[in-house]
Amino acid sequence: MTVELWVAILAGTLALAAPLVFAGIGEGFVERAGRINLGIEGMMIMGALAGVWGASLGGPLVGLLAGIAVGLVMAVAMNLVVYRLHANEIVVGLGVTMLGLGLSTYLFQLWVPSGQTNVTVPTVPRTGLGPLADIPVIGPVLFGQSPLVYLAALLLLVAWAVMRFTRFGLAVQAVGTDPASAALRGVRVERTGASALLIGGALAGLGGAVITIGTIGSFTPDITAGRGYIALAIVIMGRSRPVGIALGALLFAFLQSFALLSQSTALTLPSEVYQSIPYLVTLVVLVITSRRQLRRLYRSTKVSST
Amino acid sequence: MRSLDRQRWLLTASVVAAVLVVAGALILFAGADPLVGLQGLVEGVSSSPYRVGEVLVGAVPIGIVALTLIPALRAGVFSVGAEGQIIVGAITATGAVFAIDQLFGGAAPSVVLWPVGLLAGAAGGGAMALLPAFLAVRWRVNEILSTLLLNYLAAGFLGWTLRTWLATPEETATPQSAKLPEAAALPALIPGTRAHWGILLVIVIAVLVFLWNRSAASTRLTVFATRPKLALRLGATRSRTVYSTMLVSGLGAGVVGWIQVAGVNDRLLNSVSGGVGFSGIAVALLGGLAPIGIVLAALFFSALAAGAVGMQSATGTVPASIAEVIKGVLLIGVACIAAYQRNPAAVVRPVGTKDAADEPVVLSAEPPGTAGDHETTIGTLAEAENEGGRP
Repeated sequence: MTVELWVAILAGTLALAAPLVFAGIGEGFVERAGRINLGIEGMMIMGALAGVWGASLGGPLVGLLAGIAVGLVMAVAMNLVVYRLHANEIVVGLGVTMLGLGLSTYLFQLWVPSGQTNVTVPTVPRTGLGPLADIPVIGPVLFGQSPLVYLAALLLLVAWAVMRFTRFGLAVQAVGTDPASAALRGVRVERTGASALLIGGALAGLGGAVITIGTIGSFTPDITAGRGYIALAIVIMGRSRPVGIALGALLFAFLQSFALLSQSTALTLPSEVYQSIPYLVTLVVLVITSRRQLRRLYRSTKVSST
Repeated sequence: MRSLDRQRWLLTASVVAAVLVVAGALILFAGADPLVGLQGLVEGVSSSPYRVGEVLVGAVPIGIVALTLIPALRAGVFSVGAEGQIIVGAITATGAVFAIDQLFGGAAPSVVLWPVGLLAGAAGGGAMALLPAFLAVRWRVNEILSTLLLNYLAAGFLGWTLRTWLATPEETATPQSAKLPEAAALPALIPGTRAHWGILLVIVIAVLVFLWNRSAASTRLTVFATRPKLALRLGATRSRTVYSTMLVSGLGAGVVGWIQVAGVNDRLLNSVSGGVGFSGIAVALLGGLAPIGIVLAALFFSALAAGAVGMQSATGTVPASIAEVIKGVLLIGVACIAAYQRNPAAVVRPVGTKDAADEPVVLSAEPPGTAGDHETTIGTLAEAENEGGRP
């Protein structure tokens, strides 16, 4: 394996991590508020379709906004159903995913009937950060990325700051930990939870749009390939914390990038092994973190009861 | 209570209306006439015996998956792993059928090959379900996520299988296994269609589930979902419940894997699971976790898929994927309606009422007095939220 290949793999890692980071940060808010959004996969794929559609009409920025808008609309609908009509959020989440996967395929087939060439849009161009991009190895990996990657990094910081320093962040955590007490202290539980879900939906839509107009440039049905579930797993693994989410996203993206690029090299494993590794490792890490969290839970219970 | 009933009827009516509006809007958006679309849908399911047979064939896997999901869903164990379990069951069934057939020198009778396929499929699906059950019991790994991830691993394993040890020696456009021996195939129940004997299996399972529904074991699961500590005294521990319910769903899904290979395709294909896993959950809930309801819902879902194909050919512009959209809308609608039932099943209960299930079971670590107090607080809190959660 040459240095160039590793540079390509690592650069690809950051590019592939961006959509997971966006969706993961959004889901982080949702889970901190004590909720779960299983519709994230459906929101991402609708965002992916809206992204290409918007970009084909008015450039990449319109595409990103279209992705955000679609995710937001779906989250508003989901919030309405789950918190006004009191439907079970897991079932509704699965329904939203089914709906998103179906609707994106339906609209795509209407937009590009089979037999016609797929619509492609120019991806967001990479922008080197001036002289930094010329540093060997580190330059192309860290500083020669698309602006979306920098945006993802910025958003991580913002999410951390919001959680840590703002009234809203505190309210979200209070609602997630103990809704009854939070309500007694004057936090509007429903509204805080709804805001978290809307942030989650908007960022899931954005994450989907980043998949299509960030790296691929076109939409195909099922293009997200479970990335929404991966985002969910990452958030649980990272305990809803920005750093944890970032690490999880980087791990999955690295394995994915490795699988994409190292197939052509001397390592002769079946291609299915490469494709499965990211999911397998995610599962393994999920097991490890669940185990650790369980131990912590036991320890705290024992302390409190004696 | 009366207002609850009225609300439920209102909701049901609005869900039906929403489905019709969505379907109509989608058809109009495709530039077609909804009435022509409807006509195509009806023709798609009823214009020939073959089409009717297709509806039955499509309902078999969804029905079995949904029926065997009942215990898990009733206990509040949310397994989304049917897709992967179907795949593994199909692989083990195909492998076992070929192996046994070879043992008999290529002339094994049906009497041998059918049970072998059935048992191997069930074993494969069951084993695949025990893994997330183990992870959930031992380390509290969220079973929704683990089963979802395992689905992707199963799909990868299937892809590899179809290229290597089970690949057909012939040159084919899509990866597939060799054709099953003639004797292993399930014969057609209705001549001239693909409707096979597996349909009877659905009825058998439905009757079994119906009987089970009236047993004490079924009640224990309901208790487990609402009051785990009480269930513990009835003998329903968390590990036993999770293992047994997930095993049942895995066995069912594994059998579906065998049926799809032996009854429908005559060979193992990449598309063997084909979204049945998710439809199964939707159908189980749509059928209200009751056997008859589930069989009807499975027929409905299957008819929807077959009808959408008819709609596509009648209108020429409406893609058949409209069925998926409608299924999604239906699932969301069912979740809404279920919340207004008097005794909603554990899985469709609104959030905030399942707190008791989340606490760690560390009875031995707690002094007896505090344990009792603890339980009452949680009980009343859950009830308070239950009351407050309803408008």
